Amino acid sequence: MLVFLGRRIVLTVPSLLGVAVIVFLLMRFIPGDVVTGLVGDAQDISPERLAELRRMFGLDLPVHVQFGQWITAALQGDLGSSIRTGRSVALDLSLRFPVTLQLTTMSLLIALALAFPIGVMAARYRGRWPDYLGSAFVLIGLSIPNFFLGILLILLFSLQLGWLPPAGYVPFAESPVENLRRMVLPSLSLGLILAAATARIMRSTMLEVLGRDYVRTARAKGLTERTVTLRHALRNALIPVVTVVGLQFGSLLGGAVIIEQVFSLPGIGRYALEGINLRDYPMVQGAVLVIAAAFVLVNLLVDVIYALIDPRVRYG
Amino acid sequence: MTRTSTLALTLALAVGIAFAQPNYGGVLRAGMQTDPVGLDPHITNATATRNMLENTYDTLVMFNASLELVPGLAESWSASDDGLQWTFNLRDATFHDGSPVTADDVVFSIERIKDPATASPRSGNFAVVESIEATDARTVVMTLSEPFTPLLSFLAMSLNVIVPQHVVEEHGNLQNVVVGSGPFAFVEYLPQTRLVLERFADYWGVDADGNALPYLEGITFTFYPDPTARTTAIQTGNVDWVEYVPAADVTILQADPSVEVVGGLSANYRSLQFNVAEAPFDDVRVRQAFAYAIDARSVIELALFGTGGVLAEGTTVPAGNFYAIDESPYAERDVERARELLAEAGYADGFTFDFYITSTYDFLRDPAEVIQSNLAEIGVTANIVMEDWTIYLPTVQASDYQVTLLGSSGQTDPDAFLYTPFFSTSNNNYHNFVDERVDELLLAGRREPDPDARREIYVEVQERILELAPHVFLFHSAQYSAHRPNVEGFEHFPNTSYLGFRTTWLAN
Repeated sequence: MLVFLGRRIVLTVPSLLGVAVIVFLLMRFIPGDVVTGLVGDAQDISPERLAELRRMFGLDLPVHVQFGQWITAALQGDLGSSIRTGRSVALDLSLRFPVTLQLTTMSLLIALALAFPIGVMAARYRGRWPDYLGSAFVLIGLSIPNFFLGILLILLFSLQLGWLPPAGYVPFAESPVENLRRMVLPSLSLGLILAAATARIMRSTMLEVLGRDYVRTARAKGLTERTVTLRHALRNALIPVVTVVGLQFGSLLGGAVIIEQVFSLPGIGRYALEGINLRDYPMVQGAVLVIAAAFVLVNLLVDVIYALIDPRVRYG
Repeated sequence: MTRTSTLALTLALAVGIAFAQPNYGGVLRAGMQTDPVGLDPHITNATATRNMLENTYDTLVMFNASLELVPGLAESWSASDDGLQWTFNLRDATFHDGSPVTADDVVFSIERIKDPATASPRSGNFAVVESIEATDARTVVMTLSEPFTPLLSFLAMSLNVIVPQHVVEEHGNLQNVVVGSGPFAFVEYLPQTRLVLERFADYWGVDADGNALPYLEGITFTFYPDPTARTTAIQTGNVDWVEYVPAADVTILQADPSVEVVGGLSANYRSLQFNVAEAPFDDVRVRQAFAYAIDARSVIELALFGTGGVLAEGTTVPAGNFYAIDESPYAERDVERARELLAEAGYADGFTFDFYITSTYDFLRDPAEVIQSNLAEIGVTANIVMEDWTIYLPTVQASDYQVTLLGSSGQTDPDAFLYTPFFSTSNNNYHNFVDERVDELLLAGRREPDPDARREIYVEVQERILELAPHVFLFHSAQYSAHRPNVEGFEHFPNTSYLGFRTTWLAN
């Protein structure tokens, strides 16, 4: 197990390096740069002055030199500072990471809390009303874009019912209640959609497992249907579900970019988006690197969970 | 509503305003569209930074809500007869750290903006300032290389603020520290969460009755990039005030009794712009034909929901500005006259051209289709080509287009409205418009100190520009904010400025 873990951790290095190179190049391929943004739309500014500004930000250097400078510093833990605001990227990311972590964790919990019962019930009562109800939930959940769901939730719970604030953020340490009141709607927007995807997998793997011989044996022993479903079938049905949830975590991070924007949450996704809009290269590079690292780590975690829920899985 | 009750309401409002005594205290919760782009006012052009910090700093001179120049840190100022030497007398003012505002701080601030090492996008604002010196603790003298009347409007631009020299020297820049002399002192900034200001008790400003300003105990800015979230936040009372109400939501909020909408005209222009070096647009008759054929009123009705823009009655200078003209030969649409002009130019059967626009801003994109159908009526086919702003703008600035829809914002002085786009060698004259008489007049306008004489010059410039029609002037974008009914005294400034917070108060 330790050898396996060690090997996986070593393998993350080339993945992250690859992500770093791609993001670095992509940012430089999209038209416009930080100087275009800095000057704005309205200014009477000469081409010579623009060139001078580019030189001051080191944007006139060849791309490989710029990359070399950045990666050398990054390897030493220095992600640079924002060109536009002068703030340290590493510091800003450390402030934002907890917000995105809280959002994705709450979304994941909501997703699992809904997906498990829906998927299990749909499989157990296949072809009857709990199954149809579950299918309707899955269909709606998979077809509705998360930002649209977010806006609908704002209109319902904030504007119509007045129960929750429409957007904004309060740090948990400042006021746990106000923090949670503001995190419920964004977590629901992300979580409901993940719940739909997970419930679908849950239902199909449960159906498969419920048809297996050992389940028939368990039933023949005279165990109650409840014990058969929850103790014998569910555990084996979980393996593919864990895989899907692990992969879905990536889309959760992607969805967080949009949801953080809709609900004004100061997370990593919104930070990256702001960086892209301002063409502030160090901001985007740092944010994407952290997001990629989180994704790689979660997948590592998924592999470990496999071993825990399925004793047959042994890593050598 | 009957006429009597309208009258009664008007009277009640008038009485209410007359008797309303400003309240001290209370924190205004303001909902903003975006974060400030850095906190150092000298090295950014971002409206967001300006709007959140312009009440923490002061400028030498200021604009009021009618865009007249009023004293700021300079109590008074005067120019020598040749217009080359400007003297500013400073008032007794204190920075938030308790140190006095001195003439040295003023010299330092202007020099900091000019210094290439600061990388200020506005270093050109003071290019004509040859030297600036503090002759005593309260007097600053600027010597110009040529007479330059627009100097005062650049000094009033609320990012060209006076900063304390010792604070900049201690911290290197102002990205992490805000020490101004304005009515509100900076408390904290949590990116994408909030920016907090508190009342500065030693602020120099007073209201018309001599009461100390500001009235508010503080301002807390929070950020709502999503327009639906922003509109909902004001409707539900999660904030007291929001900026940038989308044009589509203006009528919705106006119908909501718990919200008041303030706003209107903003200092900018949006126009159809020809590349006059390219045939057939090198022919003035073709350009005039476009001006007669395009119906700017229907552009505002159809593309801007009727609320997003105010008709351009003259040229780039919006109505209400002292230098604006409101008589245009194209005020009434005249399709017949347009057809005649096209025929005279040899295009009786019309022609096809590429209409190059940006997809990024709705107010520069949506009018294109209305204009396309207007032009179809005179047999001209507009082939709309759309591109993202970051590709679009450099292309237009390289004059690589035939006809486009563009504009510019934030101006106050007529020089910025007219010299920047129309002077033959201006960096922003990408339409290749060259006219000797216009150039002569624009230079004269820069030298003329007397407002009335200056107005005559700029009226002539604008009449000549309308005749030569390098642009078809369409509209001025409107800007709206909305607030809860208990927010009083917030004035709309037509130059995208939120100096109105200095006189804002919360009713009980």
